Amino acid sequence: MTVVMRLDDITLEYPVPRQYRKEDVQPSGVRNISLEVNQGEVLGIIGRNGSGKSTLLKMMAGVFPPDSGTIATRGSVSLLAGVGVGFHKELTGRENAYLYGALMGRTTEQIDELIEEIQSFAELDHHFDRPIRTYSSGMKSRLGISVATAFKPDLLLIDEVLGVGDASFRKKSEKRVKDMISESGTVVIVSHSLGMLKTICDRIIVLDSGSVLHEGDVELGLELYVNGQKDTDD
Amino acid sequence: MDASEKGPTLVPLWGKRSLHRLPFIVLTDLFRSRHLLSLLVKRDLNARYRRAYLGYAWAVLEPLLLAVVYTFIFTILVGSSDPLYPVKIILGIIGWTMFARSLTTSTKSLSSSINLFQFARVPKTVFATSGTLTNAVLAVISLTCLIPFYFIHDLPITANLLMLPVWLLLLSFTGWGIGLLLAPIACKVPDVLNLINFLVRAGFFLSPVMWTYDMFNTRFGEGWHAIVAHMNPTVVPITGMRDAVLGESSAIPGYGYAMCFTIALLGYIFGAMVFERKAHRAVVNV
Repeated sequence: MTVVMRLDDITLEYPVPRQYRKEDVQPSGVRNISLEVNQGEVLGIIGRNGSGKSTLLKMMAGVFPPDSGTIATRGSVSLLAGVGVGFHKELTGRENAYLYGALMGRTTEQIDELIEEIQSFAELDHHFDRPIRTYSSGMKSRLGISVATAFKPDLLLIDEVLGVGDASFRKKSEKRVKDMISESGTVVIVSHSLGMLKTICDRIIVLDSGSVLHEGDVELGLELYVNGQKDTDD
Repeated sequence: MDASEKGPTLVPLWGKRSLHRLPFIVLTDLFRSRHLLSLLVKRDLNARYRRAYLGYAWAVLEPLLLAVVYTFIFTILVGSSDPLYPVKIILGIIGWTMFARSLTTSTKSLSSSINLFQFARVPKTVFATSGTLTNAVLAVISLTCLIPFYFIHDLPITANLLMLPVWLLLLSFTGWGIGLLLAPIACKVPDVLNLINFLVRAGFFLSPVMWTYDMFNTRFGEGWHAIVAHMNPTVVPITGMRDAVLGESSAIPGYGYAMCFTIALLGYIFGAMVFERKAHRAVVNV
């Protein structure tokens, strides 16, 4: 099986605020994680708030550098998170789409091919050629998702999917993400939706306080996570 | 596309880069991202004057109007009789603005786009550079306000004029290099931004914008005053710009040239090293 990403003993810790430093507080972040992502698999990541899911995903995307350890990858990697960041309010939807594409390392020709699809998916009509300072927040999110999902990477990383826009757009973007998952083949997804993880994941990782609690079987992982939640509730 | 077609080996996301090569790596990275760089410059230019009725004319009007005010102060209130004083002021303003904006935009580059850097893997040096290039374009546009003076004062068109872009380039290069050095620090210590704002305001008066090199020489002459003044990396380039346009040659001592080029070069070398080593981690901690 081809490995598309290998994480070797990676650690990233956030600094502890000064007033807590004397109290021996453990810094948040992720610690000593090693794992491989194989081509064609859907890997789920689950864990409580603050367990390090997003940090891990950002390190996999090459956004955050690890304090120690190495991350190696093959092919293009793209992170679907923070939809709409990098947009400039004075530019039109179309100009922002080109800018975002360039940020993702695409050429103008590649974006030319996708621009109609981006426009129609975002359902912005003539607003697409107006500055986005005139957009409502829903319109901005629709543009963000449309642009972010238009570029298909070899390895797709998804963080907490897409609860934006009205009901019909939400449904549409969920379908788009599912299509991306089936097209991209290799996906790492962070979510709290147990039902979705159960149906789409081949393997799951349960994170707890920045370390891997479980790696492998999906059913077992979800059970561990749910039981862990119950323990804290008790 | 099959990912394995792209090569049999896994490529590290954060390759090792030796410290002494970083100043070259920054330049090659910028060249590689030139498409994105040009797009960001276009974005900045577009966004800056898009809503103004006069558009890019503001780039010409700003230094022109400032020159009118300063000329008024100096000729009417102080009693200066130099007819070329407005030209000197305009060049001073354009040169100083070039340096100050380069310094400010590159220092702020990480903190002002922090949201983006926390969600996407984008080349950070491109963002630290686009502001400098945008201002270079604006400075070139601003220079057109000198054209009427060529007719009014019959200014000479000589080979000296070729030095004008060189001095402008040096001003923006110096500001950019120091900005690269400060950007990761400004992410962690926001006070740096306040300090820069203060320095830009104070520097306006401490640099030869309203005064000229000759005025300084007549007042203070050689000695430690002159050495301290040459530590300001804008003194020689702004004077050079004036000499280039007016066809004069100010008596700048050799060490003056040496100091301004050394500051520019050291600023860039250390700036590139610090930026490449610290910028990626700096955005994590915010």
